[in-house]
Amino acid sequence: MPDSTVTETTQRGPQVLAKTVAALEAAASRWDARGVFLLSAAVYFVVYLVTVGDISVVGGGTGAFEVRIADDLSRAFASRGFFRFDAIAVISGGPFTYLLSPLNALVALVLSGLVGANLALTYLGVIQPRACGLESSTGVLAGVPALLSGAACCGPTILLVVGVQASATIITGFQLLIPLAVVLLVGGLLLIGRQVDPDLL
Amino acid sequence: MDPVSLRDRAVSGGPPKDGIPSIDDPNFVSAEAESVRLNPGDPVFGVTTGNTTKAYPQSILVQHEICNDTIDDTPVSVTYCPLTGTAMGFERGDTTFGVSGRLINNNLIMYDRATEAWWPQVLATSIPGPWKEEPPTRSLQEFRVVWTTWERWTSKHPETEVLSRDTGHARNYDYDPYGSYDPRRGYYSLREPPMFPALFEDDRLQPKDIVIGARTPGGAVAFQKHRLSEEKLVESTLDETPVLAVYEPDLHTGYVYRNPEQRQYEYEDGQIRDADGDTHPPEDLPLTRILAFDAMWFAWYGFYPDTTLYA
Repeated sequence: MPDSTVTETTQRGPQVLAKTVAALEAAASRWDARGVFLLSAAVYFVVYLVTVGDISVVGGGTGAFEVRIADDLSRAFASRGFFRFDAIAVISGGPFTYLLSPLNALVALVLSGLVGANLALTYLGVIQPRACGLESSTGVLAGVPALLSGAACCGPTILLVVGVQASATIITGFQLLIPLAVVLLVGGLLLIGRQVDPDLL
Repeated sequence: MDPVSLRDRAVSGGPPKDGIPSIDDPNFVSAEAESVRLNPGDPVFGVTTGNTTKAYPQSILVQHEICNDTIDDTPVSVTYCPLTGTAMGFERGDTTFGVSGRLINNNLIMYDRATEAWWPQVLATSIPGPWKEEPPTRSLQEFRVVWTTWERWTSKHPETEVLSRDTGHARNYDYDPYGSYDPRRGYYSLREPPMFPALFEDDRLQPKDIVIGARTPGGAVAFQKHRLSEEKLVESTLDETPVLAVYEPDLHTGYVYRNPEQRQYEYEDGQIRDADGDTHPPEDLPLTRILAFDAMWFAWYGFYPDTTLYA
């Protein structure tokens, strides 16, 4: 009997993965699901870069378009905090400023891709002619922890907003927010992918 | 607190060593060139010597905390800790200072790149750290850095040089992650608690109230800046020696002098008149001046809980 349990478990993993991949392929083949993916990923990408301070808007800014490049481009790999990296260029124009940090953009790309995929599959789960359950819509909430990790300078500034004093334990906890978000988003994706049946679409 | 106990109270602020990069090759421009980027009420940290007048905008140093500079052929570091509101100058010798990423009492711990010993900014004294376990206990030679505003500094020193935004780093100098000083918002608001718990706490003043503090190996004294600006001249004691705090209205700052003979002075239109009728500028009384600097009250008390306070 133990053998059959192992067989069942090992089959379940690939099955879930296969169903998720099939669901993602189904999403990619539909313009409406592609739209949901692109829109939600783009919004998350921008919001994430705002929370880490790479995109900012200064009220009343009227500066001309300007690009400043850092002297030392290897700073792109310098850590500024938990999964936060230094910028190598400042691009500013009017009230907008973008700090070009390639690795921050890469982290944002991964997270926003996962958020977009979660939302696209959630959308498919909603429109397919079968109730999909509440759990489908909770996957995207997994992207929230990563938004809380941002704007750390000397201590995460989100703590100022919520009025909580930092401690060594809290600072350690902040290091886990982005890995946690990735795990939750992947888990959410598998959870929703399992429930979308491409044959029903 | 002994150096080992201080080390045990150090916490990570988040960024790793040099995650907040010091400025190691600063450039300076004229006040006229920088005036388009600075508002009149923006804080700047001013340094004057016989030959040099320089301003270091808070908006730049909040992103770097340390500027390794040279003034009158002397290697110096002009440093700023946003969490304790302290701007201080040190002679750095042949080394440069970097940002360790650790904090004590919310205060920047610098490290020197020659020995890698830790140097808490306000204490200006080396303590053990993970990169240098047993450094000799040494203190840095300090010099006065005046916390004032761009408008006040340029009115008094129109010839000043200003630290340029051309720091070699890609940072947004229009964005302060903690809040703003003009008006005071966010972390800098008077009632906001510090980011991390202070070493010692006291509620006679609000946490972010500004004091002008002076300390010696034997004691510490603090003057609430707002009260000093009202009273102009304040007598107190530091390590049982009478001291005199003097308000300077042009830069909205103060100076602290030893006054062991308790000589009498009067404040008159921004000048200080002595008993003989001679007048002196507030920054140059015929007494021995003690290094003093602005600090948030919670930070000053956290480091010097036995401080005398005038408020």
